[in-house]
Amino acid sequence: MIKIDNLKASIEDKEILKGLNLEIEPGKVHAIMGPNGSGKSTLSYILAGREDYDVTDGDIILNGESIMEMSPEERAAKGVFLAFQYPVEIPGVQMTTFMKTAVNSVRKARGQSELDAIDFLKLMKGKCKELGISDEMMKRAVNVGFSGGEKKRNEVLQMAMLEPKFCVLDETDSGLDIDALKIVADGVNKMRDGDRSFLVITHYQRLLDYIKPDVVHVMANGRIIKTGGPELAHELEEKGYADIVGAAA
Amino acid sequence: MSLPIEKIPTPKSERWKYTNLPRALKKLQLSPASLGWSGNVSLLNPHAPGAAVYGDTQLWDLNAQQSKDIQFVGSSEIIDINAKDGQLLSPRLIVQVKDNEELTLVENHSGHGAYWKNMVIQIVIGKNAKLRHYRIFDESEGGVCTIFTHAQIGRDSTYEAFNYTQGAGFVRNQIHAEIQGENAHCGLGGINLLGGKQHADTTITIEHQAPHCTSNQTYKSVLAGRSHGVFQGKVHVHQVAQKTDGYQLSNALILSPEAEMDTKPELEIYADDVKCSHGATTGMLDDAPLFYLRARGIPESAARALLIEAFCGQAVEVISDESMQENIRGKISQWLNNLT
Repeated sequence: MIKIDNLKASIEDKEILKGLNLEIEPGKVHAIMGPNGSGKSTLSYILAGREDYDVTDGDIILNGESIMEMSPEERAAKGVFLAFQYPVEIPGVQMTTFMKTAVNSVRKARGQSELDAIDFLKLMKGKCKELGISDEMMKRAVNVGFSGGEKKRNEVLQMAMLEPKFCVLDETDSGLDIDALKIVADGVNKMRDGDRSFLVITHYQRLLDYIKPDVVHVMANGRIIKTGGPELAHELEEKGYADIVGAAA
Repeated sequence: MSLPIEKIPTPKSERWKYTNLPRALKKLQLSPASLGWSGNVSLLNPHAPGAAVYGDTQLWDLNAQQSKDIQFVGSSEIIDINAKDGQLLSPRLIVQVKDNEELTLVENHSGHGAYWKNMVIQIVIGKNAKLRHYRIFDESEGGVCTIFTHAQIGRDSTYEAFNYTQGAGFVRNQIHAEIQGENAHCGLGGINLLGGKQHADTTITIEHQAPHCTSNQTYKSVLAGRSHGVFQGKVHVHQVAQKTDGYQLSNALILSPEAEMDTKPELEIYADDVKCSHGATTGMLDDAPLFYLRARGIPESAARALLIEAFCGQAVEVISDESMQENIRGKISQWLNNLT
């Protein structure tokens, strides 16, 4: 499904990823946990194709095809989706317009027919309802004036609308109270099936109580330093990162 | 024809600092021409307003001297002003909105080849009246167009003016609005979409001469290629004009390293109980929203277009006429389609 091979990346000559390896099978949920500054968010941005980073070595293979040279939009069409830690506010661009443009761009690139206004609205309203997103919210500008919970629900809505194959959730739990966290986690869990893979990036174990991972990785200093089952998350929660990171150093 | 050089303002005068009209005219071969309007209307005010204050009335005077085309506007009208190669046109519109009346005036500017349109518009709006004044520039690349609009706004009245500039060789859009009666409103807005070597100058003076009045200026410029945008906006609040609420906004989006924007906001306030402010920004498209849209599968050119349309949106809202709003939105997306 997705294979990250010896990925090295830097920004302004500072190396952030130092040879990262990771492989996720179809239908599996992997979690990456790690202390601040370990390179988690950098990894998520590089997977989505952000150009601010210098990728100096390694490759990212999605379903047997390297996506390293692809633009963000090409990656999205191939099925990569990043749920942003900080969703960007875009004044003046209405949610519905944004969503329709995105869905139809992706459909076009995938060789599917574009949705007309009626079919699109039907699809969107259905997904909104599942996530408790009001029609009024879809008339507002993208993320403008949204609460923390609304922003994260909006990320999951976009994920559901774009039907990706590989989803990266970057600190989706940050800024959420427990009720909002449940709604977001439910939305993600509904999308789990035999094919779709997830990479859940989080600092805290809390999110993983709701989105249960198959595999947990610990990341520190630009590398995966330990891999285990769901129990590894609990171990981290109890002992903190210092022990594991220290032992690996 | 040899141009009356002494009558053409140069960048030495402060209000023409960023706009070099003699240079734009130098290469043109012009002869005085007519649009065929009847000239059988007496000039409401042959002399330029504000001459004593701004000393920037040469073009007004030149128009008065040359003017063959004079048209009176007393009801809603759409006026096409089309210039042909080699013409010097000096049209003048005289617009009168009577008390308790509303009218909409649309000016469609176009042209072919190289020419100079030096136009004057005199507007008098009575009491409790409204004028919607929409101006669409789709001039030819070699065209020079200078327009001086003067508006007097009466008590409880509204002057709403919007200009859209897309094709333009060289445009100077000068507006001088006098708010003369209480409780009146002057709402000005514009969008300049420039590419190539286009030059568009918006120079505004709003005179608040009565209390309890409001004025707004909302201008957006998008500059590609080697284009040059100029915005000079002045709000002058006279001592009697207490409780004035004046706001001025000019935002420019630079799409190319060779494009240039000059902005000069000015507030001159002599009353002590007023609310006046201005905002001026010049910048490039933000990376973060662009990446966000692209990460959702929207191709880069379409993502840029969405963001530029959003950038212009606030100015489109100045237009209260819905069909004109749609018209302008359509023109913006068309311009953006041709940009890439």
